[in-house]
Amino acid sequence: MDFIEIKDVVKRYSGHTALDGVSMNVPQGCIYGLLGPNGAGKTSLIRIINRITHQDSGEVLLDGRPIVDDDVTRIGYLPEERGLYKKMKVMDQIVYLARLKGMPQALAKSEAKAWLGRFGLEEWGDKKLEALSKGMAQKVQFIATVIHRPQLLIFDEPFSGFDPVNAEMLKKEIMALRDGGATILFSTHNMASVEALCEQITLINNSKVVLQGQVAAIRQLYKKNIIAVALEGDDVLPVQDTLYEVLPAMPGTHETAIKLKDGVSIKQAVSWLNDNCRLTGFHEVLPSMNEVFIETVNKTKTPVA
Amino acid sequence: MKKLKLIISREYMAMVKSKSFILTTLLMPLLILLCGGVPALIGYLNNAGSDTETVAVIDETGKYARAIKDTDLYHFVAMRGDTVTNLHDFYDKSNGSIAAVVVIPARVDSLHTVTIYSEGTVNANLKSTLNEALSDTLTRARVASYGVEGLQDMIDNSTVDVDVKSVKWSDDGSENETSTEIAMVLGFALSMLTYMFVLMYGAMIMNSVVEEKTTRIVEVIVSSCKPFQLMMGKIIGIGLVGLTQLAVWVVLINVIGAVVAVTMGGMDMSMLSGGVPMAAGAGEMAQQVDDNMVRNIVTGLLNVNYGAILSCFVFYFIGGYLLYGALFAAFGSAVDQASDAGQFTSPIILVMIIALYAGMACIENPNGPMAVACSIIPFTSPVVMMVRLPYDVPMWQVACSLLLLYATAATFVWVAARIYRTGILLYGKKYSFKEIFKWIKG
Repeated sequence: MDFIEIKDVVKRYSGHTALDGVSMNVPQGCIYGLLGPNGAGKTSLIRIINRITHQDSGEVLLDGRPIVDDDVTRIGYLPEERGLYKKMKVMDQIVYLARLKGMPQALAKSEAKAWLGRFGLEEWGDKKLEALSKGMAQKVQFIATVIHRPQLLIFDEPFSGFDPVNAEMLKKEIMALRDGGATILFSTHNMASVEALCEQITLINNSKVVLQGQVAAIRQLYKKNIIAVALEGDDVLPVQDTLYEVLPAMPGTHETAIKLKDGVSIKQAVSWLNDNCRLTGFHEVLPSMNEVFIETVNKTKTPVA
Repeated sequence: MKKLKLIISREYMAMVKSKSFILTTLLMPLLILLCGGVPALIGYLNNAGSDTETVAVIDETGKYARAIKDTDLYHFVAMRGDTVTNLHDFYDKSNGSIAAVVVIPARVDSLHTVTIYSEGTVNANLKSTLNEALSDTLTRARVASYGVEGLQDMIDNSTVDVDVKSVKWSDDGSENETSTEIAMVLGFALSMLTYMFVLMYGAMIMNSVVEEKTTRIVEVIVSSCKPFQLMMGKIIGIGLVGLTQLAVWVVLINVIGAVVAVTMGGMDMSMLSGGVPMAAGAGEMAQQVDDNMVRNIVTGLLNVNYGAILSCFVFYFIGGYLLYGALFAAFGSAVDQASDAGQFTSPIILVMIIALYAGMACIENPNGPMAVACSIIPFTSPVVMMVRLPYDVPMWQVACSLLLLYATAATFVWVAARIYRTGILLYGKKYSFKEIFKWIKG
């Protein structure tokens, strides 16, 4: 069951087209990556789902029905450009944003208290936001995004501004929300976090969808027939031009990457290697999402006139 | 509706709790009273600190010394002219117990001169006290010297002070005494109030919009409510802040005024009214004038139609605030920092200043063609109509101007909402009027 269905959405601003026939299905309970270079149209799409702006044509369905204004209470949105009221107390701020999302005041207060405790910020509820460090403010913003238990969460670059320890904690919270049944739309430039979190992705470039599907399948699709082999001791990889080409050494490993020639299967290469040197291990190297991203974006780049 | 209320209450609380609001709300009445009270206070302190001084009056005529009555500052001791031979010795012997010696020469009736001798500079206050007391007495003495019976009464009766009253006929022909001065002051005060309120709180709306934009919280808020709700919540919330401030000021000024009146109750009123103690005769006259004036003010105050004026004021005030508040909100959304907003706000301020000057001109001729035009044009009507209202403006003009004002305000709110919803999401650039017009269409 798809929680969000986006069908052929077009959004034009005076002078340029931000989204040009974009379609995308986000399954219920999935962490879905929305990728693309700066200015590709991600923020435009996110704002349409959030009902901040409206598409010129096409359809957005939430839970099988066309999305309406009241659906915003079912959505939690963490924008890339974070912002809270500097002069407002942390607790008041969270409660205000929760109530705007339709949460009753008493419930908002008790939930806010619980979340602040969970992030180690219970002492800070009565402080004005300007007294908090950047990392703490980021946590407050995260709480304000998720406090009303939205069914759909939209995170735009959620990890920016977090140190690795807090980023890891945030990652766990996001996965816990997913396990609790929430659908998560996740927009980022950090491809490592895409590999770690996302099941599916859509890559937008120049207002159009250029790549879409399961992360694992996409990496398979983009594989370059590269395998990493490990040899015993000081054994040196023999040159075998008909089977493979040796790639530059990979720093930090004992492995050597080889690219198989066209038509050569892994089985052929490995059995030859096994016969001719002391092979201790091998594995297939899949392209990182980073490589997939760069390759796809470069391929679809519109020529500069 | 629930969201709008929530936004209004946040905007209201955020503003009311701010230090700058609390400070201006509490300090402004003090400042106003200070400005008004300083001259009176200085006069009071100036006299209160000094003791009563003794002045010897050497009266060579033997008849005029009685006319000089003691004041708070001077105690006059009358002496016969033949008791003192050497003035300076007499002064020295007093060892400072006498501050000055006044000599009324025997021929004062023809000389019209008295002389004050002292070692210091002669106080202007003493001069005026003597002048007032003796001029009156000498005048009466001269009148009496003509030997015409009842001449003084004739002179007194022939002094005419023409009091111009204005009487207004109502539709049914009944007469009402009016007071132009009262109407003028009231109208101009209401007009100034509207002017200041619109500019002050309009600027606050703009700053608040810019702040939400620069802190980027606006994107979070509009993912929960409509931009229109946020904009209206802000305009209404800040408007309520302004009304609160006005209410506090009215209460505070009254309370402080009452406290001041009570504590200073013992003070001589003549001191408060300029620090110059008046001689008894002049004082009586002033008292009479005061009574007349008070009576005029009271009848004037009673005859001004407060119900109509104040209810019109409320409508014009709200209409004007909405109209300009919406503009300020729209322009705030088009900039990244308040200091960039000058190009948009200066036309607003210009129009407001024109309105204010038009209002001032209307005081002279409240029913002239310019006054009528400016009180109907919606951009100036909230300010100008306030000046005209106490002069009984025809019903159709008020209705026409209010209708136009609210129609324009509604249009501006609508236009502002369209600018606002686009502007708040665009960062990093100053937008021109041309681009903003595109947003209205888009």
